[in-house]
Amino acid sequence: MNFLLRIFTWWNRSQTSGIRLFTARKGVKVGEDAEGNVYYQTADGKRRWVIYNGEIEASRIPPEWHGWIHFTWDEPPTKVAVAHKSWELPHLANRTGTDAAYVPAGSIRRDAPVERRDYEAWQPAE
Amino acid sequence: MSNTRKIIIDGHEVEVDPNLTIIQACEQAGIEVPRFCYHERLSIAGNCRMCLVEVVGGPPKPTASCAMQVKDLRPGPNGEPSVIKTNSPMVKKAREGVMEFLLINHPLDCPICDQGGECDLQDQAMAYGVDFSRYREAKRASEDLNLGPLVKTCMTRCISCTRCVRFTTEVAGITQMGQTGRGEDSEITSYLNLTLDSNMQGNIIDLCPVGALTSKPYAFTARPWELTKTESIDVMDALGSNIRVDTKGREVMRILPRNNDAVNEEWISDKTRFIWDGLRRQRLDTPYIREGGKLRKASWGEALSAAAAAMTGKKVLGLVGDLAPVEAAFALKQLVEGLGGSVECRTDGARLPVGNRSAYVGNAAIADIDSAKQIVLIGTNPRDEAPVLNARIRKAWSHGTVVSLIGPAVDLTYDYTALGTDRAALAKAVAEATPVEGALVIVGQGAVSEADGEAVIAHAMALAEKLGGKYMMLHTAAGRVGAMDVGAVTEGGLLAAVEGVEVIYNLGADEVEITPRSEGGPFVIYQGSHGDRGANRADIILPGAAYTEENGLFVNTEGRPQLAFRAGFAPGEAKENWAILRALSAELGRTQPWNSLAGLRKALIAAVPHLAQIDAVPENGWTPVTLRDMGAATFRPAIHDFYFTNPIARASVVMAECSALAKTRAAGPALAAE
Repeated sequence: MNFLLRIFTWWNRSQTSGIRLFTARKGVKVGEDAEGNVYYQTADGKRRWVIYNGEIEASRIPPEWHGWIHFTWDEPPTKVAVAHKSWELPHLANRTGTDAAYVPAGSIRRDAPVERRDYEAWQPAE
Repeated sequence: MSNTRKIIIDGHEVEVDPNLTIIQACEQAGIEVPRFCYHERLSIAGNCRMCLVEVVGGPPKPTASCAMQVKDLRPGPNGEPSVIKTNSPMVKKAREGVMEFLLINHPLDCPICDQGGECDLQDQAMAYGVDFSRYREAKRASEDLNLGPLVKTCMTRCISCTRCVRFTTEVAGITQMGQTGRGEDSEITSYLNLTLDSNMQGNIIDLCPVGALTSKPYAFTARPWELTKTESIDVMDALGSNIRVDTKGREVMRILPRNNDAVNEEWISDKTRFIWDGLRRQRLDTPYIREGGKLRKASWGEALSAAAAAMTGKKVLGLVGDLAPVEAAFALKQLVEGLGGSVECRTDGARLPVGNRSAYVGNAAIADIDSAKQIVLIGTNPRDEAPVLNARIRKAWSHGTVVSLIGPAVDLTYDYTALGTDRAALAKAVAEATPVEGALVIVGQGAVSEADGEAVIAHAMALAEKLGGKYMMLHTAAGRVGAMDVGAVTEGGLLAAVEGVEVIYNLGADEVEITPRSEGGPFVIYQGSHGDRGANRADIILPGAAYTEENGLFVNTEGRPQLAFRAGFAPGEAKENWAILRALSAELGRTQPWNSLAGLRKALIAAVPHLAQIDAVPENGWTPVTLRDMGAATFRPAIHDFYFTNPIARASVVMAECSALAKTRAAGPALAAE
């Protein structure tokens, strides 16, 4: 099944043949993040790109690499570590369209939607 | 209209009363003139300048049509009728200019403004607004007022039409609102930042042509176009104000007045308008049965068979509550009297004479207040008992009617002659009465709820007779006149009715105290919409619909039957009141001969024919009550807290806030300036 998906859908392929060729010719590996996505740049540092470990989904790039790949900072996190606050949560990719996606408490897409009461019932005194 | 004048409006020749203003003449001719400050029921201010029209041959400038009378128009050189144009290029240009000035300081709030969709300024800007602003200077902003828990203000939106100021001073009779400053700096403010001390203040929300005054409890909850509108009748007081109930789904979102010149004109009291949050709280939504001293939830089948078992072979008393529609009172009477029991609707102990409609309703209509020259109030505080009726008396007073009061001194918002506070004063007034033109005697429930109530009624009727005027009973309960009409009464009143009774069938009467079961009190079956005193005492609870949740007939204090319509469904398992009684009758083996409300109404009208005349006041044959001696006490008020008169109001958070505010105001020190 995965084999078929990889043939017919480019976003499950992790890299296209063009990227594979370009990476082989020009790519200098810069580092790898916790999910196994590999980051490359050209030798002159003019282009930066990522080869995903699995599905091609831009929100999988964690914040420390996000800053580097968008040229917000020059040095990759492997050289200059990005400071993390104690209250920061681990990075999660966009969950829209998955089972873990957020739905409001009263939504019928929840297993047990919160019951909507448009009136307050009287309770007998104990 | 012998003395009329011919004028030509937009090429149509119309003949009108010369005392009309041009805007009224245009209305008669079927031509709409845009306006902001002009309102039929308020004095003329003429300050918004939106109603400009062109008077041909008059001064070379447009004229404010609300402030000019037809008789002031100059006829043509040869006596031709004067010509008025409401759609000429000059008029359009003038109105566009006015609109541009109004919009200079009006914020672009429409998307977040509660008035959006029903805003006069929005509508008229569609016709006369220009699509850009030439104004490059700073805009004016004003601080919002705190007018209390009912009216929300956003004064930057105000266009200074002064309708709210005119309403509060002229109709509501309070002095807190006014306008200060000049030109661009003029502002509507409240005197010393006082909150409004009126139980009719909600009407300024309807009057405000823009979103400067909006409803605080309704704020940001719905848009007018998504609401279902149902025309119905109010039950908060016995006036039977005509209302429109706006619902979204099952919930009542707001209540607005409807125009009925004979009843409430176009005002309603705050209790009528803001009661709707009480319709969502403390609701009885499932039947209950008391077992081992505790109420437990039950199914309809269980509850009905338990109720039928409890009623069989016992002496049953049916109590008809203040909010019960006529159909329910009639069905209960048929059911209980079929079992050999009795029914009683005068739960506050009022000594209303049975069967004598001229005594318990009177022969005056509410509209008679307008033409009355002398009004005598006996033991009543109409400001609390029926605020809209009080506003009507105030209107008559401002046109010169003399009002006098026998009863405790109260603030009625107008001047009255105090004739005394006790029954001796009434007896003296009867002895000294001489015929006068246009007299009207209004008796309150406080005066007739004590042991000598019938004697008070007899004296009041004698007073009306001797003054050569009319007589009216001012009720406090919306269902009372209807229940009296169907004869849901026991000879001897409440005290005689409870004698030796074993089972009480309580149809929403929450103002009566019933002896607890542990002290040998009767078995109580309660049918009603809200959990209040009645439900707490009950042994079986049958959940019924509230007044917005069933079709019903209500007879108001002047004896006018009016139809209330269902705006939404009752919550949970609750059913319509007549249907519960019908189901119980089947359980008792005495099935009532109707299967629908229409069938019930047919039987009702066969028994009480005048109830078929919807929105008409039937004539009552004058039958005076025999004069007898009254007691010696002073009259006592019928209502102690305007905001807490029925179970729906007691469930409402807004009413509780209003009541608390009214109490602080009453307890607080009087202002030196007042």
